[in-house]
Amino acid sequence: MQPVIVAEKVTKSFPGVQALKGVSLALSPGEIHCVVGENGAGKSTLIKILSGFLRPDSGTIAVNGRTFPYLTPHVAQSLGIQAIYQENILVPQMSVAENIFAGCEIASRLGIVNHRETLRRARTIMDSLGVTLPVEERVENLSVAEQQLVKIARAIAFEPRVLILDEPTAMFNVKETRMVLGLVESLAQRGIGIIYISHRLEEILTIAHYITVLRDGSQVACHHHRMERVDMNTLTREMAGKAVSAFQRSKASIEGEVILEVRDFRLTPQDDPLSLVLHRGEILGIAGLIGSGRTEIFQTLFGLWKKWSGEVWIKEKRVSLHSPQDAIRHGLGYITEDRQRTGLALGLSVAKNVTIPSLDDQFQGFFFPLREEYRIVEKYVEGLDIKTPSLEQEVRFLSGGNQQKVILARWLLKDAEIIIFDEPTIGIDVNAKGEIHRLIADLARQGKSVILISSENPELLALCDRILVVRHGKVVRELVGEEMNEENIISSAFGVTSDGDSSSIF
Amino acid sequence: METHLLEDFAKRKRAKFFRQQTFFLVMVIIVLSALFGFLNPRFLSQGNLLAVFQQIAVLGIATMSMTLLLISGGIDLSIGSMIGLSGVVICKMVMGGYATLPAVVIGFLLPVGCGLVNGIIVSKSKCIPLIVTLGMNYVYYGLALVISQGLFLSLKGKFTFLGRGRLGGVPISVVVLFVVVIAIHFLLRNTKFGRRLVVMGGNEQVAFLSGINVDRLKIANYTFSGALIGLASLVLVSRLGNILANAGEGYELRALASAIIGGVTFEGGRGSVLGAFLGVVLLGIVQNGLNILNVSSYFQTFTIGLIIVIAVVVSNLEKVRKT
Repeated sequence: MQPVIVAEKVTKSFPGVQALKGVSLALSPGEIHCVVGENGAGKSTLIKILSGFLRPDSGTIAVNGRTFPYLTPHVAQSLGIQAIYQENILVPQMSVAENIFAGCEIASRLGIVNHRETLRRARTIMDSLGVTLPVEERVENLSVAEQQLVKIARAIAFEPRVLILDEPTAMFNVKETRMVLGLVESLAQRGIGIIYISHRLEEILTIAHYITVLRDGSQVACHHHRMERVDMNTLTREMAGKAVSAFQRSKASIEGEVILEVRDFRLTPQDDPLSLVLHRGEILGIAGLIGSGRTEIFQTLFGLWKKWSGEVWIKEKRVSLHSPQDAIRHGLGYITEDRQRTGLALGLSVAKNVTIPSLDDQFQGFFFPLREEYRIVEKYVEGLDIKTPSLEQEVRFLSGGNQQKVILARWLLKDAEIIIFDEPTIGIDVNAKGEIHRLIADLARQGKSVILISSENPELLALCDRILVVRHGKVVRELVGEEMNEENIISSAFGVTSDGDSSSIF
Repeated sequence: METHLLEDFAKRKRAKFFRQQTFFLVMVIIVLSALFGFLNPRFLSQGNLLAVFQQIAVLGIATMSMTLLLISGGIDLSIGSMIGLSGVVICKMVMGGYATLPAVVIGFLLPVGCGLVNGIIVSKSKCIPLIVTLGMNYVYYGLALVISQGLFLSLKGKFTFLGRGRLGGVPISVVVLFVVVIAIHFLLRNTKFGRRLVVMGGNEQVAFLSGINVDRLKIANYTFSGALIGLASLVLVSRLGNILANAGEGYELRALASAIIGGVTFEGGRGSVLGAFLGVVLLGIVQNGLNILNVSSYFQTFTIGLIIVIAVVVSNLEKVRKT
C-alpha cells in the first residue's frame, strides 16, 4: 500500500539546541505508528512539523505522493492531516456539536448557522465512533476523557487521512484509557493512518504497528512491532543514553547533618505517604516524567498549596510551612520551572528582581538608598558573571541563562540554605547549561543543600549525590551510587519492572 | 570593574530619558504653554500659572492615589464617590453644629475606611479590582446621597485655609500638591513598601513566591490610596465651601487618564510619579488655556478627550513598532 505520509530526513534546530537530527517516518493508511522518547527527545517537534506548525530546516514531507519542503497548518489540513494536542482547543461554553464544527460551521449561504443540521451531523459522527455523548451538552460539563473524545470527533469531522494524537490518555484512568485505545484502533481499521505519542509504554505495546524511538532528536530505532514483538526493556534501553553534558561533579558521601526531613507527606488523602531526607551540602535529584507530580510535591513543600498531612523538619526542628513566607523564613528558596511567568518580573530591572525577598535583611527602616542596593546587587552580578549592560536593564532582554542566574542571585542574596531547582536548564543553550551546572555544584560545595527536579537525566547523573524517581506522585525508587544510571531512571519513571513487563495499568 | 556598571547605568539613564514619555510630555507642555502665551499673554502671568496649579491640586492628589494603585496592578474607580461622601459628611457635621476639627478628621478618615474596604474585597475575593471598585463607586455615591438627601450642603464659611489660603503668596493647596507628589515619588523609589508595590505590579506571582504577603500589601495600598483621597477631598471641600453628593464625579476617570497620559500602564509595574504628574499638568494647562481663550466648555471636553487618546496612542507607538 502506498504510504499516506512520508517524512524524509527531517531536521530542525532552535537557538542552542538541535531538536531533530534527520528523522524519517512513513505511515500507510490504517497503520498505527507510535513515537516514544523522553521529555525533550523531539516528539513534539516532529508532530508540529508534520502538522505544519513548524518548518523543518531540511528534509522533505511527502503527502499522498506529493513532496513538500514544509507544510503550513492550512495546507496540512487540506491534505487531510489532523493533529490533536494536549492543550485544550475546545470552547467550554459551547456545546459538543458546536465545538465539533467550530471553524467549519454548517450554515446557509447568508451565514446563518443551521442548528438542527449541526446536531444531526454531530450525532452521526459520534455514532460512527461508537460513542454515546449528548451532543447538545456544553463541553464544560464533560469529564476530561469525554472532552478528549470530542477533540477526536472534531478531528474526524474533517475526514482526515492522517490523525496525530499527542498523549491522548495523559490524564485518564484505566477505563477511559481503554476506551480511547479502542477508538484509536477502530479508526485505524477505517483506513486512517495514526501517529500516536505517549509516555505510557504499555499502551504503545498494545496498539502499535510500528514504534519509532527518538533520543536527543535522533531516530534510534524503528520497530515493526507486529513482526518483532518489542518489549519494554528494549524500548527503555533505546530511550536512554542521551548526550552527556560536559560538566561532571564528583559525588560526595551523603552522610552528615540532616538539614531537611519530610515525613509521611501527602498532598491528598489518596496519595501514598512520601518521606525524604536531605543532608547539608547534598544535591538530591528528583526524576520523573512531566506530569508525574514531582513539581507539585515541592511546590506544596514551599507552601504554595495546602498539604493533606505530613511533617517537615528543618535542622531537627519541626516547622510548619503554610506560605512561601514561612518557607523562605526557614531558609528555603524555590526556582520555578517557568522563568518567564513565575520566576521573574520581566518588565523590571535586574536589581529589582534580585532584591525582592531580601529588602528587610539588607535595609533597616522604611527607606533604602538605591546606590546601596546597586552595590549589593553588583557583587552578585559579577560573582555569577551575569551578562547585562546595567543593573537597570529589564530582565526581559537577558538571555535564558542570564535570567536564570538573576533568579539564583536572588536566593543567594537571601542566603537560602535549601534551594529547590525545578528544570533549571530548560530552554537554555548548551554553554549556559554547563555554567548553571557548575554554579549548582558550587552551592553544594559551599554547604548549601540542593533539590534538583529535572527531566534531563544526564543533568541529574552529572550533578546529584542521590536520585529519587517519582511516578504518579510517589517516590518509586531511590538510586544511589552504582545504581545511578539512565536506564534505571527511565525504567522506574516509566514503571517498568525488572522482567521487562509493565507494573501498571493493564 | 568596580564602578563600571554604576557609571554605565547613569549614562544609559540619561540617554533613555530623551526617549521616554516624560521627555515627550515636557516638550508638549512647553510648546502648548508658548502657544497659549502667544495667543493671550495673560496665560503666562505668575498669577495665572499659580491658578493652573490650584485648579489641578485635587486632581493631582487623586492622580497620585491612582498611580500607586495602577503601578501595583490595581485600580480604584470609586475615588470620585469617596470624595463626594467625605465632603457631604464634613458639611453635614458642620451644619449640625459640630466643631470643624472633628468634622474634618472624620471627613479624612472616611475615604481611608473606604480604601480599606476596597482593599479587603479585592484581595480576599480575588475579583478584578476594576469591577469591584466600579460597584463600590455606586455604594459610596449612594451613601453620600442618603446622607445629604441630595441637597446642597454648605461649610458655613468655615475651614477655608486648605483650599483658599495662601502661604507667602502661594496657595496652600499647591504646596500640598507638591509635597504629595514628592512624597509619592520617594515612596515608590526608595521605600520597601513602594518597591514591593512595584514588584507586585510587575508580577504578582513572583512577589508571592518571594515571600511578600500580597493580600496584606494590597489592603495597605488601597488604604493608603484612600488616605490620599481623603486629603484631596479636604482640599476640594475647603475650596468650594459647599458640596453636592456628586462633587467628586469624574475624578476617577480623569485621574486614570492623567496617569496613563504620564506613562503609567494598566498592566502594572510601569510608569513614574513624575510622568503622572506631568499628565495632570498637561490637562490643567489645556483646560486653563482654553478658558483664557474663551473656548466653550463643550469644546474643551472634546479637546481633553482627544488629548487622552493621542497621548495613549503615541505612547504605544514604540510598542507597536517593536512587535
